[in-house]
Amino acid sequence: MNEAAAKKPLSPKKLILRVLLYLVVIDVCVLTLYPYFAMFCTALKSRSEIFSAKGTILPVTALWSNFIDIWSRAPMARYFLNSLLIAGGSTIIAMLCGIPAAYALARMRFKGQTAFLGFVIVSQMFAPVVLLIGIYKVMMTLGLTDSLLGLVLINAAFNQAFTIWLLRGTFMSISAEMEQAATIDGCSRVQAMLRVLLPVAAPGIVTTLIFIFINAWNEYTVALCLISTDTTKPLTVGINIFNGYNMIEWQYLFAASIFAILPVVILFMCIEKNLVSGLTSGGVKG
Amino acid sequence: MKKALALVLALALALSLAACGGGASSTPAAASAPEAGSEPAASGDKIDINVIAAQYGQNTQDWWANFQKEFNAEHEGINLNVEVVSWNDIYTVVNTRISNNNAPDILNIDVFADYQADDLLLPAEDYVSAETYAKFYPAFLDQSLVDGTVWAIPDLASARALYYNADILKDAGVENPPATWEELEAACQKIKAFDSSIYPWGIDMTTDEGQAAFAYYIWNNGGDFVDASGNWTLNSPENVEAIEYAINLVKSEYTNSDPATDTRYDLQDMFGTGKVAMMIGPNSIPTYIAEGGNSVNFGVAPIPTNGGNPSVSAGVMDRFMCFDNGHSDEKLEAIKTFFDYFYEDTRYSDWVLMEGFLPATSAGGEIVAASDPSMAAWVEIVGSCKFYPTAKAEWADVKQGVIDVEQKALLGGNVQELLDALQSEIAG
Amino acid sequence: MSKKTFRKIEPYIWILPSILLMAVFIIVPIGYVFRMALSKVTKAGLIKGFNGIENFVKVTGNSSFGLVLKNTLVWTLAVVVISTVLGFILALVLNNEFKGRKVARAIVVFPWATTLVIQASVWNFIINTDYGTLNTLLMKLGLISAPVNWTPTPAIYFTWEIACGIFVTIPFVTFCVLSGLQSIDATYYEAATVDGANYWQKLFRLTLPLVRPSLTVSTVLNIIYVFNSFPIVWTMTKGDPANHTDTLVTYLYKLAFYNGKQGEAAAVSVIGFLILLACASVYMVYTLRKGDDT
Repeated sequence: MNEAAAKKPLSPKKLILRVLLYLVVIDVCVLTLYPYFAMFCTALKSRSEIFSAKGTILPVTALWSNFIDIWSRAPMARYFLNSLLIAGGSTIIAMLCGIPAAYALARMRFKGQTAFLGFVIVSQMFAPVVLLIGIYKVMMTLGLTDSLLGLVLINAAFNQAFTIWLLRGTFMSISAEMEQAATIDGCSRVQAMLRVLLPVAAPGIVTTLIFIFINAWNEYTVALCLISTDTTKPLTVGINIFNGYNMIEWQYLFAASIFAILPVVILFMCIEKNLVSGLTSGGVKG
Repeated sequence: MKKALALVLALALALSLAACGGGASSTPAAASAPEAGSEPAASGDKIDINVIAAQYGQNTQDWWANFQKEFNAEHEGINLNVEVVSWNDIYTVVNTRISNNNAPDILNIDVFADYQADDLLLPAEDYVSAETYAKFYPAFLDQSLVDGTVWAIPDLASARALYYNADILKDAGVENPPATWEELEAACQKIKAFDSSIYPWGIDMTTDEGQAAFAYYIWNNGGDFVDASGNWTLNSPENVEAIEYAINLVKSEYTNSDPATDTRYDLQDMFGTGKVAMMIGPNSIPTYIAEGGNSVNFGVAPIPTNGGNPSVSAGVMDRFMCFDNGHSDEKLEAIKTFFDYFYEDTRYSDWVLMEGFLPATSAGGEIVAASDPSMAAWVEIVGSCKFYPTAKAEWADVKQGVIDVEQKALLGGNVQELLDALQSEIAG
Repeated sequence: MSKKTFRKIEPYIWILPSILLMAVFIIVPIGYVFRMALSKVTKAGLIKGFNGIENFVKVTGNSSFGLVLKNTLVWTLAVVVISTVLGFILALVLNNEFKGRKVARAIVVFPWATTLVIQASVWNFIINTDYGTLNTLLMKLGLISAPVNWTPTPAIYFTWEIACGIFVTIPFVTFCVLSGLQSIDATYYEAATVDGANYWQKLFRLTLPLVRPSLTVSTVLNIIYVFNSFPIVWTMTKGDPANHTDTLVTYLYKLAFYNGKQGEAAAVSVIGFLILLACASVYMVYTLRKGDDT
């Protein structure tokens, strides 16, 4: 920032706004990270220290071994892999079904358009907890209980509403002219969508991707009821092993949860640059 | 931008393909019986037994995994599959399966009356060999008696008693652990005066286990959930007095600050670190404290009573039950084999000791008592303690109802009125 | 097939996979909920015949039901309104170019990326009177001398749950709005600046209308998701004491899996559905007729 200021002196008003901006950002980051700081410190403590009457912020002796122990105490690697497969699979299937539907809603006129949009919203109006028994019934009929594929499909279905609604909005905000031009150049409709529309719609697509991935990654209730084999459990259900009748092993639960955040954050960092438009300088700047 | 997007999509595609592959290869048959191969004929030779078991602690899952491996290795014709589910979720999992007519063959849980009421269970003598059946304490079997038939068998038990921090009591000038309610109040007062940052008494009135608190106080005041002929007596004068007493302990600030949300776990942890001076807890507390790395100097005593009533220990007992899934005779034999194997004396005492519980068979009791002198007293207690009336069909409603009464009383409700309302709702 | 017929049925081919997916995995289970709501269901969960609206009568007759309904409305309104406002502001902030933006954005994803059960457990760890880290922190800083009971009444505990709900919902709103902000053409702003518009005028006349579609999507879905949210309240208080922190979903969960009243639980969820449906219909009639095109 000093460098930038040296190159191009800011007006006092702009300088104050810059400082304010940084203050806000730092505050937000500190507040957001505080629960993770608490989680991290707890994960490093021994049981007795966690509940100690004196209370410590940082662990007296950091038990890094807690982070290692969980991998041998439970088949964590297997759980991780299962979660990745479920989240990755759900993302792709939700996108494969949702993008065409959103495209049709944004670019075509057909009977029942409004009804379909309503149908999509209605599909979200029951909490998964309520639907458990019915979902289990469907999965039994299809022979998909206790399988990752079942969880992939159910997560993809649950995320259709967001995918369709957000992408429909994104597609509508993009002018159809370029696609029409491409069609005249001999592209089919599908090609025009893939080559012309989707790259421009990247911010919306990236947001949708993250949304589905996170939801599927964190899904708990349905996985709990559908999966009965230990080696098929996703992480959210698997770490229940640290949550027994006689004691809850908070340090292990939290250590495992910190590992569980990493894939999402890494995925986000990889695709975050698509959330930047080169076009705008809007926002707080006066 | 395009490139990154393509990369992500490609990655997701690869993952989803792998997911489908993973899904196909982890169908139950393939995952639980790889030796059975993919030929239906090959797996048809084996009798499948599906078990859902509750997760008692850290070691439960490993214990069952080992059990399954050994059992399947020793019994050629049987394919046992045990699914361990945490207590938080077991009702959700089991009810979902039952609603879909997909009940497990064997279930290990605390309650059985609701399943029995729907004719879903088999009588215990149909699926337990006479030899194993004779091992159980008769008093335990009586807990699963409905219409003259025993429907479930006990897998283990735990008993409750008063735990006190001997150092705090001594420093506060309390000579003996309180035996009566008057002594309890006096001890609380002394501890409070000695160090106001210590909670003299721990109490849990949460949805988690609030019914236990209800039982501790009414039973030790001569009250009960039911009378001798099995009618609900929730609003008896003894019960009202007992709950008023318990609520009063909270109001006098002798207890942890929020009994409606502080669970048993919170209390045990605070007891372990010397924050709570006395509490009623299960026999597993010493193991709990030791595993937690704490070393408080504690003692165990009978639960304090009122009005000269004898001290009653509260027992909690869990069960195995067998669902009537139209089993063939061969399958019932296989299930009998399973239970014979499970209740084999050394294996069974290992099961009980693993998580610090108490045995439900006399042979198991002898082994457990011999292995650990501190357990001997408990084995004695568990033979004489009182249990919740779980065999009664209304128990689930009563359990939630008494917790609701406690919490409403904490918020200022009148105990008499609340219990009257509950009694008329349950019995009326 | 003639080209004309193909044009006519083409849109339906595009939406078919999506319809199939939702119909099989969501609509069929929803049908089952309706069936249970209108049936006598035993404690073990078996359906034993039709019983009309008896489940609904029982549920609405319960003295706690009004309280639970009120809690649900407070919970939904508070979480949605506050997280939408804060999330929108945060999106505007994060839309600026500044050093460390990538890191800041990644940090904002954290609350979203964490399983709700764990998130709620951590909050309980922070605000707990006896071993909570908030008390420890404030005492180490010398701001308080004795532990403070942060949850003295059910209403205050409920407020903490709402705060946790807001905390985990903000990232969702922020990224929805951020994705909308990207499509705004900078030339609009330049033109407005030339016309002498100030910052607030630009915000309300340009930015807000332009991100409206994504803001609407996030708000409508948020209302539904928050209304049906389960893990936060369940983990922090289980609705205790005496339903004072229950929402419809935690209440029906207890009915279904603790009390063995699955018929009544299904009735509660149908009531929740009707409430949401009424809200959504108002919105649909209002927005779709007006046309929500930008």
